[in-house]
Amino acid sequence: MDIARILVVDDDKEIVKAIEKFLSLAGYEVVKAYDGLEALDALVKNNIQLILLDVMMPKLDGLSTTLKIREKRNIPIIILSAKSEDSDKILGLSMGADDYVTKPFNPQELLARVKSQLRRYMFLGDMGNVARASQTIIGGLFLDTDTKQLTVDGEPVKLTATEYKIIELLMTNAGFVYSAEEIYERVWNEAAYSVENTVMVHIRRIREKIEINPKEPNYLKVVWGIGYKIEKH
Amino acid sequence: MSSVTKAIAFILAVVSFTVVIVQLQYAIFRDVDPKFLLVEEYKDSEDYMYYLNDAMQTVVSIAEGSVEPQDSEFYYYISDGVKTYSNTKNTEKSFYEQYDSTFYWVENGFWSRGKNAKPSLSIYTSLDNKYTVYFAIPDEFMTEMQKKWDKSRTEALQIFLSIMIGAIVGLGIIIYLIIVTGRKSQDKELHLSRMDDIYSDVLLFAMISIFYIWIYTMYEISYQYRYQLRDYGNIFISEIDNNQIYLLIFIGIFSAVAIIFDIIIFLSLVRKIKARKLIKNSIIYKFMHKISSMISEFFKYLIDGSMFKGYPFTKVLFNRQLIFISTSAVLVFFTLVFISMESFIFLLFPMLEIVLIYLYLKGNKETYADINKGFSESLEEQMKAERMKVALITNVSHDLKTPLTSIISYIDLLSKEDLPETSMDFVKILSDKSNRLKNIVSDLFDLAKSSSGDMVLDFENLDLKKLIEQTLADMGDKIEQSELQIKTKLPDQPVNICSDGKKLYRIFQNIIDNALKYSLTGTRVFVEMEDKNGKAIATVKNIAGYEMNFTADEILQRFNRGDKSRTTEGSGLGLSIAESFTKVCGGDLQVDIDGDLFKVTISFPLSYKV
Repeated sequence: MDIARILVVDDDKEIVKAIEKFLSLAGYEVVKAYDGLEALDALVKNNIQLILLDVMMPKLDGLSTTLKIREKRNIPIIILSAKSEDSDKILGLSMGADDYVTKPFNPQELLARVKSQLRRYMFLGDMGNVARASQTIIGGLFLDTDTKQLTVDGEPVKLTATEYKIIELLMTNAGFVYSAEEIYERVWNEAAYSVENTVMVHIRRIREKIEINPKEPNYLKVVWGIGYKIEKH
Repeated sequence: MSSVTKAIAFILAVVSFTVVIVQLQYAIFRDVDPKFLLVEEYKDSEDYMYYLNDAMQTVVSIAEGSVEPQDSEFYYYISDGVKTYSNTKNTEKSFYEQYDSTFYWVENGFWSRGKNAKPSLSIYTSLDNKYTVYFAIPDEFMTEMQKKWDKSRTEALQIFLSIMIGAIVGLGIIIYLIIVTGRKSQDKELHLSRMDDIYSDVLLFAMISIFYIWIYTMYEISYQYRYQLRDYGNIFISEIDNNQIYLLIFIGIFSAVAIIFDIIIFLSLVRKIKARKLIKNSIIYKFMHKISSMISEFFKYLIDGSMFKGYPFTKVLFNRQLIFISTSAVLVFFTLVFISMESFIFLLFPMLEIVLIYLYLKGNKETYADINKGFSESLEEQMKAERMKVALITNVSHDLKTPLTSIISYIDLLSKEDLPETSMDFVKILSDKSNRLKNIVSDLFDLAKSSSGDMVLDFENLDLKKLIEQTLADMGDKIEQSELQIKTKLPDQPVNICSDGKKLYRIFQNIIDNALKYSLTGTRVFVEMEDKNGKAIATVKNIAGYEMNFTADEILQRFNRGDKSRTTEGSGLGLSIAESFTKVCGGDLQVDIDGDLFKVTISFPLSYKV
């Protein structure tokens, strides 16, 4: 496969330069743009596999640019923004972005997210849209209950039996919130008493295997004071 | 002046007065009359005059034939020239004449009397000319009556003396009690009893009521009973019967009780007079005082406009109100004057009042409009300032984060360069500090947002107990590394509240983080919760590993950290954020410091059960 080409868009030239530097260190090719219009232009002229997009930019802001791109293309878009509110993240993702990274970001984490998005893009391209009844796709997570196999962005994940059961329960019922007791009763098949810690330990381990940043999970979320869930994407 | 002396004096006073009353009643029952003391001789007494009168009338009646001749203690001789009536054989005038102090006769229709005889009313009774009447009372009878009179006198004098002595002793003791009440031998202070707190008029009313009931009962008993039993025939002191003895016992007890209460109340009033609070501590005074203060307040409200200085609108309202009320008062006055003069001019003044009210309302309407305008203007300004503040926070945050992004990114790139070891150390320091700066900016932003009230909240019903368990489980790694033990005491039942789960997680995370960071190594952190009085109350207690030389208020202030020198991670905003978030989420956070014990209490109202 060709080397992936990534479009970096930000009105702050130093930031673009820094991102270019560590992306190229990681072996990617970088195309630069400094506002929304330039980005759209660069997208036409180059064969781009992924876009890193700032929100607050002159001429055309990041969200509008995302909408424009989504009219024609399905390539991964990662938004970079100084706005850290939940509502900003939800807005960005609902505009069609695939991921949302807040500034100031950890370069290593950004790199991991770029890799993840690229792999997912390629992998899902391979899979097409053919999903059998035994298969569940949520974002980059791909679960096959026949083979009892979970892949994240195409990479198989090694899970213990208990972890697999938890993931299966939460993925096949995505969006549904389960309390620790419910998870325990369904997975361990025992009456639950004071199991919050036990369940949470497993949840933490699963997160470390499937999340890029386990502290800010994308998939396996805690609903505080209620339970746990994997959100529908 | 010891209390024993006082008690004895009190008992003596009660006994004396009771004796006086019982004696008085005894005197009434026995028909002891003051006349026995005043009149020495029976023949000078009124009783004798009544007797004499009666006797002479009897004689006249016999003479006129309306009464049959009869035997009697007195002597009489009646002759009309034809018939003669007498109860003695002596018909000579000289026989009767020897009793010169009791001798009365009729000749030629005229009454005459012996030279020592007292004038009797009966001598004005006219008799026909034909009658000759001689009348005299024998000395033996008079002597016997005098003996009885003397006996009554002696008894009456005894009773009178005992009453006098009792009254004097009683009054003396009362005077003594008046002097010593409220005083104690050990000091010169005035000691008031709890009873003296009762309003004076209440005490006085009670005293008078008891007295009135007593008097009324005494009147009913003494007079009605006395007349029922009275023997009219006996003009001297009568004997006492059993019923009257029982009554006397009853009167004694009843009076003693009444006297006890009245003396107690009376002494309380005396003490109040001594303490100069008789008048002040009375309902009437309080009432009058309230009224007078209301009146003075009324005039203060009416006239004192000092609080409106510097407030032109309300000052105008106040002045208008003053003019309105005083003019109205004048109009009412004139209305009454002309009504009393029965002149129809009085109708003019109510009309003037209507005009006045119209002007008043019109003026007020304009001023109110001005006030409304001013108020909405200042409100708008406030909103504008609020919006600017929020915009400022967002902009500053963005302006801080953008350069920080570059800094962090380039430090990361630097760390990948092939640098000498010392330079790598510097890069490491830069990396740590820039990460800390990132945390501070992020925390600062959260704090600013929550305290400016511009925070988006996602309220839902959740179980606070579960949330605490989740938080502790989530922080499991940190807790294990900390060499501290977490002791939990949570209820078995879910504790449901309505709040924002993510914010609550931040709150508890910050507080527990704080406890882990600043606790003395090897100690325990206590996380407890209970639902009490409709509230979910969670507490986190830990023993500080250093001396907490600050107050609970200081630690909640921004950027204040318990330990300024030792810790370099964290923003120092943890507790401030926790407090601010708690407020925003509808709860209350309180910090208590007791020696080395650091305690955070968070309370949320329980949500209604669905």
